[in-house]
Amino acid sequence: MTLVEKVCVLGAGSTKYGKLPDSIADITTQASVSAIESAGINPKDIKASYISNVFGVADKQVHLGPVLMSRLGIPDKPSLTIESACGSGSVSFREAYVNVAAGFYDCLVVTGVEKVTHTGTEWTTTYFAYCSDFFYEGQAGASFPGLFASMARAYLTEFDATEEDFARVAVKNHENGLLNPKAHIQKKITIDDVMNSPVVASPLKLYDCCPFSDGASSVILCSEKFAKENGGDYIEVIGSGRGGSAAALQGREHLTTIPSTKIAAEAAYKMAGITPKDVDFAEVHDCFTIAEIIDTEDLGFFEKGKGVEAVREGRTRLNSDISINPSGGLKSKGHPIGATGVGQIVEVFDQLTGNAGERTVKDAKIGLTHNFGATGASCAIHIFQSV
Amino acid sequence: MSVEKQLIEHAKQGKLLTHKCTDCGHLHLSTAYYCLKCGSKGFEDVILEGTGSVATFTIITVAPAGFEKYTPYAFVILQLDNTHLRISGFMGGITTPADLPVGTRAKITGFDDRGIVIEKQ
Repeated sequence: MTLVEKVCVLGAGSTKYGKLPDSIADITTQASVSAIESAGINPKDIKASYISNVFGVADKQVHLGPVLMSRLGIPDKPSLTIESACGSGSVSFREAYVNVAAGFYDCLVVTGVEKVTHTGTEWTTTYFAYCSDFFYEGQAGASFPGLFASMARAYLTEFDATEEDFARVAVKNHENGLLNPKAHIQKKITIDDVMNSPVVASPLKLYDCCPFSDGASSVILCSEKFAKENGGDYIEVIGSGRGGSAAALQGREHLTTIPSTKIAAEAAYKMAGITPKDVDFAEVHDCFTIAEIIDTEDLGFFEKGKGVEAVREGRTRLNSDISINPSGGLKSKGHPIGATGVGQIVEVFDQLTGNAGERTVKDAKIGLTHNFGATGASCAIHIFQSV
Repeated sequence: MSVEKQLIEHAKQGKLLTHKCTDCGHLHLSTAYYCLKCGSKGFEDVILEGTGSVATFTIITVAPAGFEKYTPYAFVILQLDNTHLRISGFMGGITTPADLPVGTRAKITGFDDRGIVIEKQ
């Protein structure tokens, strides 16, 4: 495969994640404007937009693209909205990446957004379950915590792991999130706090689960030529990979691995010409504590069954062996599902351009984002390098 | 009758309808339209007893709409006997993990507003 253009991220911005008072159209625009200003461009430079969103219907606004473009003063520019459950953001980025790499456009905006907290826990629990293979899972009462809890139970059965080990992931990500002013839950927690929190779906407890969040994140994607002419800081996309897994957990050979992650990672590493050892930090899809452990194994940072040991030994903490989720991850930063995959790229941009403040990963040159939909039925991974 | 409706009718009888590829013999749940192994479209029906052992499970206390009245209940993934196939479903009457050790024998017993229903044997 020959790419016509090298692709760069020229600007990035997010709203705060959490319970937001503004409408979905408002927060979509706010994040996009902050990315535009970060890039130092004018909206007239943007040739098209890619919007990622799952439950726009909850805030009475689907077809978000034209609304955003109208507010940016470029209503004549094309847009589309992409849904791939919790993996929508990274898939949207991927489609934009492909279009710039192929030479169709030289400058695009990718904005992910979700606005659901006003609907309450029962609505979100119910509607998020529609992202499962509903005939087999949601219809039988499986919630999303329940599906990841099923993987967690399998992991506890197969490997030398305890529920306290899962809790360590939450404690670590909350430590990082405390350093992120945009994080939804900025609160230091202990292993006991996690263990004593109410059970949602055994063995997962409330603090093993990421929150339902509102939020929007946006990046400006462009050709290397555009980035150089524009001036200002940018980072280069050096790897991009996608993969799939059986939609229902029951259809997977192993219950403690996510095939789409492995497939996407292999493609992304190959394109970048690197191995997992070359990655300085990674934003991974930690919708539940067990997910982060499985992710770090599937991404090749640790052997299968050893991810839990790495957490126990503190090897994934900020500025340890490999900084996992320096932003605080979905767990602490929050999980506005359509925005999450784009938000991870915002974090990598901030890290590699020296704008991550107290949570800076020292001497980082290569960052990876890993974002999946549902229980990992779809996945996209990107690898970035500082310039 | 659609593939889902056929599967439901069998589940109501406590059976599991599966599809065996007529080219390579690979067995699938009956919602498969093409063979996972060889891509062939020809299947013959194989009706399983729906028995197996619990591969993994969770006990749900925060439930989606319609399931509040059943909490706590288990969502179970069953490893079916004599095949690589698994099937997931709803299991009532489970309150603690001690009620359902991994490996517990169980069987499909029905289908209703709780989806595929599985009970301990």
